[in-house]
Amino acid sequence: MASVAHPVREGIRGPNIASADVQLPAVRDYEQVDRDIIATLGFTKKWFMGLSVAVLAMLIGASAWIYQIYWGLGQAGYEPPVMWGNFIITFVFWVGIGHAGTLISAILFLFRAGFRTSIYRAAEAMTVFAVMTAGLFPIIHIGRPWKFFWLLPYPNWRLLFPNFKSPLVWDVFAISTYLTISTTFLYIGLIPDIAVLRDKETNPMRKRILAILSLGWRNSDREWRHFAKAYLFLAAFSTPLVLSVHSVVSFDFAMALTPGWHASIFPPYFVAGAIFSGFAMVWTIAIPMRKWFKLEHYITLNHLDATAKVVLFTSMVVGCAYLIEFFIAWYSGVRAEQEFFWNRVFGQWWWAAWIMLLCNMSLPMSLWSQKLRRNPTWLFVLSLFINLGMWFERFVIVVPSLSHEFEPWQWGSYAPSWVDMAFLVGSFGWFFMWFLLFVKQLPVMAIAELKEIVAPRVKHGHGGGHH
Amino acid sequence: MQGVVGAFHEIDTTVAAIEDLKKKRIGEVTVYSPTIRHELEHAIDAPQSVVRRFTLVGGLLGVSFGYWVAIWSSTYWPLVVGGKAIASWIPYTIIGFEVMVLVGALSTVAGMFINSRIPRLSTTSGYDARFSGGYFGIFIACDAAKASQAEELLRQHGAVEVRREA
Repeated sequence: MASVAHPVREGIRGPNIASADVQLPAVRDYEQVDRDIIATLGFTKKWFMGLSVAVLAMLIGASAWIYQIYWGLGQAGYEPPVMWGNFIITFVFWVGIGHAGTLISAILFLFRAGFRTSIYRAAEAMTVFAVMTAGLFPIIHIGRPWKFFWLLPYPNWRLLFPNFKSPLVWDVFAISTYLTISTTFLYIGLIPDIAVLRDKETNPMRKRILAILSLGWRNSDREWRHFAKAYLFLAAFSTPLVLSVHSVVSFDFAMALTPGWHASIFPPYFVAGAIFSGFAMVWTIAIPMRKWFKLEHYITLNHLDATAKVVLFTSMVVGCAYLIEFFIAWYSGVRAEQEFFWNRVFGQWWWAAWIMLLCNMSLPMSLWSQKLRRNPTWLFVLSLFINLGMWFERFVIVVPSLSHEFEPWQWGSYAPSWVDMAFLVGSFGWFFMWFLLFVKQLPVMAIAELKEIVAPRVKHGHGGGHH
Repeated sequence: MQGVVGAFHEIDTTVAAIEDLKKKRIGEVTVYSPTIRHELEHAIDAPQSVVRRFTLVGGLLGVSFGYWVAIWSSTYWPLVVGGKAIASWIPYTIIGFEVMVLVGALSTVAGMFINSRIPRLSTTSGYDARFSGGYFGIFIACDAAKASQAEELLRQHGAVEVRREA
């Protein structure tokens, strides 16, 4: 941690320049950081309203699950040959959302990009809740969710083990490792901040709970020394992990011979798409949060500008991957591939493909404009379009390929049922319910790390605080 | 633990006090700070953290277990799938990698907990709630005979509050 954020230097840069180590000129001292972040924990009417909507949406999804368990998986709108529909699309969508959190907290940490400091806690929490959401969908998809543990290699009287050559088993290892490590990374970073809450808390019951959660953290030099090293190694582990997880998810498709799936470009294409969609979800969360919690001086326009540059870059990577897929289909000379890709944009699923291309390739090009990169309203609107576009990207990958395989007699169609739609709504409810509960119980910004970029008080010389 | 604790408002005075305490060797020094500061790290000059050894051992154990479980279960139930060898190294690298990350990261956390001596039931000895807020703290573990010298030194360097811990 200590080596990432730089203290405020002499001569703060002009407010119109976003660089990797954006600073917080409006934050004067450590006490202000404590006050401002702890103030976000107060309950408000808007928060209760938001939580109610999220719980209602979650209950819609839960009801659909009970209905599906009772009536069977046939309620999901599957129609041969399209036997992967909304569940797998939404699974890939939520796994992708999670990736930006780890990118911001781990990869940008290793790359010494200081702009992560203000947003990484919210992004990390987003990762954990997104992976929790994603993990439900393969379990829902298997129809008999109580049998999901058959995927795990545990000693059993049948002496049967999962097939380790199957991408679905790789998924189990990748997703469960990712959820465990993301949760651990989030909690370890939270320990010093929970200690701050503990020390400020006046309610004895709450103070006791916070004391347990903070593990008796005392901010001693011994604790910080080992904490910094552990945090560095967790970031070093999380970095290849995050790249591996969406690569493994892409293998679910790329290992099959299905047209449109059997491509070596899939792992980097999926990883870039995941980072792209995850950053969009960070905007969807952080832009309202900075306004409602009055945190504009922590998540500044420079922070948004820096994240917009990442979105612009990843949009171009994703766009490039889309175009390369068409080129390879043409260059391969394989007729099934060529016809499939023609069908993707001009056939029965043309509307889905054009939504994807518009939202993921065209609209993000607006971010070449610095004015729009620094316009929170536009970034929020764009984030909704990107979220929509990235869900449709997964729709375009899953449905057209399965509905248009090699033999014309196999060709079919797919229409999501109301159960599918209820699960989709429920997934958003489940995700936002956890996120809204998180932001009112624990600091949504890393207090200890924010203090690293605020100059401490000094008696002799220059500092950011009072002299 | 018996000793003297001093609270400082400024980082430069804290650094000066640490350096002076190290020179005079009054007792073992513990420094508290609301966040990591390089200035304090340099003044304390503590040895490198040994957490990295836990990471290395955990990672090696994890990768070994990941490969082993995949190879052992394949040879235990030798069924040819997709024309691949019974024990296929390339797909098993994914399992090896994921388990390496899992065990390596959890060992890192265990290493941090063991070396930081957490979880801890009490924070009271030598600690003050202000040390997580805006103040820096120095605790000197010493007996009553040296406590006066420690108190004087802390005050001399600008501690805003100095008290003895029984």
